[in-house]
Amino acid sequence: MQLLWQILVNGVLLGGLYALMALGLVLVWGVLNIVNLAHGALIMLGAYACYYLFTGLGWDPFAALPVAMVLLFCLGYVIQRYVLNLIIRAPMFNTLLITFGFEVVITYLAQIAFSADFRTINPSYAGANFSFLGATVPLVRLLAFAVALALTLGLWLFLEHTRIGRAIRATAQNLIAARLYGVNPRHLYALTFGIGAALAGAAGTLYGVVSQINPYIGSGLTGKSFAIAIIGGLDKSIYVLAGGLFLGIVEAVTALYIGPTYTDVVSFGILVLVLIVRPTGLLGRTA
Amino acid sequence: MKNLALACAAMMALLASRVSAAPIELGASVQLTGQFANTGRYYGDAYQFAVEKINAAGGVKVGNTREKLNLKILDNQSDVNLSVRQYVQLVTQDKVNFLLGPFASDFVLADSAIAEKYNVPMIQGGGASDQIFSRGYKYIFGTLPPASDYFDSTLDLMGQLKPPPATLALLYADDAFDVSVADGTRKDASKTKLKIVVDQRYSSKASDFNSILSLIKSQNVDAILVAGHETEVLNFIRQAKTLNVNPKLYSFTVGVPSADFRAALGQDANYAFGMSSWVPSAALKDEYFGNAEQFANEYKKRFGYEPDYHAASAVADVQAFVKAIESANSIDPVKVRDAIAKVDFDSLYGRVRFNSAGQINLPQTVVQVQKGKLVPIYGPKGMLEQPLYPMPEWSKR
Repeated sequence: MQLLWQILVNGVLLGGLYALMALGLVLVWGVLNIVNLAHGALIMLGAYACYYLFTGLGWDPFAALPVAMVLLFCLGYVIQRYVLNLIIRAPMFNTLLITFGFEVVITYLAQIAFSADFRTINPSYAGANFSFLGATVPLVRLLAFAVALALTLGLWLFLEHTRIGRAIRATAQNLIAARLYGVNPRHLYALTFGIGAALAGAAGTLYGVVSQINPYIGSGLTGKSFAIAIIGGLDKSIYVLAGGLFLGIVEAVTALYIGPTYTDVVSFGILVLVLIVRPTGLLGRTA
Repeated sequence: MKNLALACAAMMALLASRVSAAPIELGASVQLTGQFANTGRYYGDAYQFAVEKINAAGGVKVGNTREKLNLKILDNQSDVNLSVRQYVQLVTQDKVNFLLGPFASDFVLADSAIAEKYNVPMIQGGGASDQIFSRGYKYIFGTLPPASDYFDSTLDLMGQLKPPPATLALLYADDAFDVSVADGTRKDASKTKLKIVVDQRYSSKASDFNSILSLIKSQNVDAILVAGHETEVLNFIRQAKTLNVNPKLYSFTVGVPSADFRAALGQDANYAFGMSSWVPSAALKDEYFGNAEQFANEYKKRFGYEPDYHAASAVADVQAFVKAIESANSIDPVKVRDAIAKVDFDSLYGRVRFNSAGQINLPQTVVQVQKGKLVPIYGPKGMLEQPLYPMPEWSKR
């Protein structure tokens, strides 16, 4: 029983990070209808940004996080404004191809720039933990979870209650009507992709603090984010949190009771089941 | 007229011999990019370094001439299927004479089938899985000791520790190498007093070990043995710290001997045990590099990072070809293959000779990170240095 409690705590904390990883992907997918296969590569870049701020300038990773977000925002804005906007009307297959291309290019540039060495962001408190009702809670995981929660809620509030947020949602719902109200879609699309990239940057920072970084972590993270997006659904950013938590808990429990070699089988099995039974996600509107 | 014909024939013969006097081509497909690039680079760099040194010393003696070696390395991007295609290309289009191997058992398992099919000998220093050598192939030779023996010396050492660990957790990734390690370890552990209380296979892509670590913690396991990849080992140690898992010792098949591992973990690398089939000591003499210590220094100066056993094993592969070609006095693949089976020489890597299946047998020296330095602890002749045991709890470091 004690062990199950510990496993659930692990799963929830992991799930928060998962949710943040998927959040940017979901935003871009939902608004721009682009499945950004380079999302994981952007997470990787965020992790390196934080790594160099931490090792080079001695910044605390949580202080480096906003900087990583700003850097990635700029990169994302430029990618959308000057590349993806050109093919935004093309069939989805074309955008898939081009983001896949970005993934490959970014990954290999990263190897040239950062080498294939494994890195970790290892502040002095990286191993700290405390006991909570008999379960051991790793401090950095809890912090990562809190940041993930804050950013998810922040994005939700931003989209629901600010002018730009409403414009973003309006563009996703009805482009022509949005344009009639004076929305500039080129700028707005770039803004959305930039926010998605910034969220990837935040996720990368936290990932680097709890795990290890190398130029090749991207594709696996894209796959995981994709699964979470499908499970949670694309309707509301807040649903991503549910998708992430669900997957985190399922993986943790599977690793214990079925065996750690089967976590991918189970999580992608659930993905397939969701696609068959509830294609709009577990919490999404039924079509 | 007769003389002219004779002269022509002599000319032809001379030309023909000139053709065969072209450099001896060695080909390899190595992980220079992709997820295994971090270890793959040892092979690319060490093959290159060995070939340069051998050529600088005059090359390989075949008959009355000395031939230079020529190395062709392709980047397989850490993709097994691509590596198979590249080996086919090396053999059929580039017409290389001999093959050097890639890194990792999964790759060698697939690529050695090409060597066997085309009867071109391959000596590889990157695959240790017993599966590679259990198929009756004649053209594959390996300079990493058998995977099933990797934890042998560690288990021996554990028997001598006071108090000896009583319970054991065995974790392994689901690829050819790590499954072989686990099979061998399970068998060897059954001969000791150790009780295996956790025995789990995990997916090679795993990055989260919190569930297994929680299980290990709840069972209060004394010793943890992990057979996996370096990324997983880094995650495992970091997560063990965050979950406050405190075994008396833990040991890992990979990672610990590499400088990169210690750099990534910093203080947290301390107390980790590992193993190496190679320790860069001056006692290991070498024809081309002087000795293993000199090799390690030169290598670091040349490539900017420390070599570990992967690099030494790769150098031994090139040298084994040189010895075999010289003793066969030919570059005929069948003759060289038979000569490889009989080579027996001392190198910076250790004594190189192959058993009937084609694999080397070198003892694994147990190593431990102590205060950021890699210390050889236990070898075939017994204790070399005192191990730090039991590990202090994370909170008391």
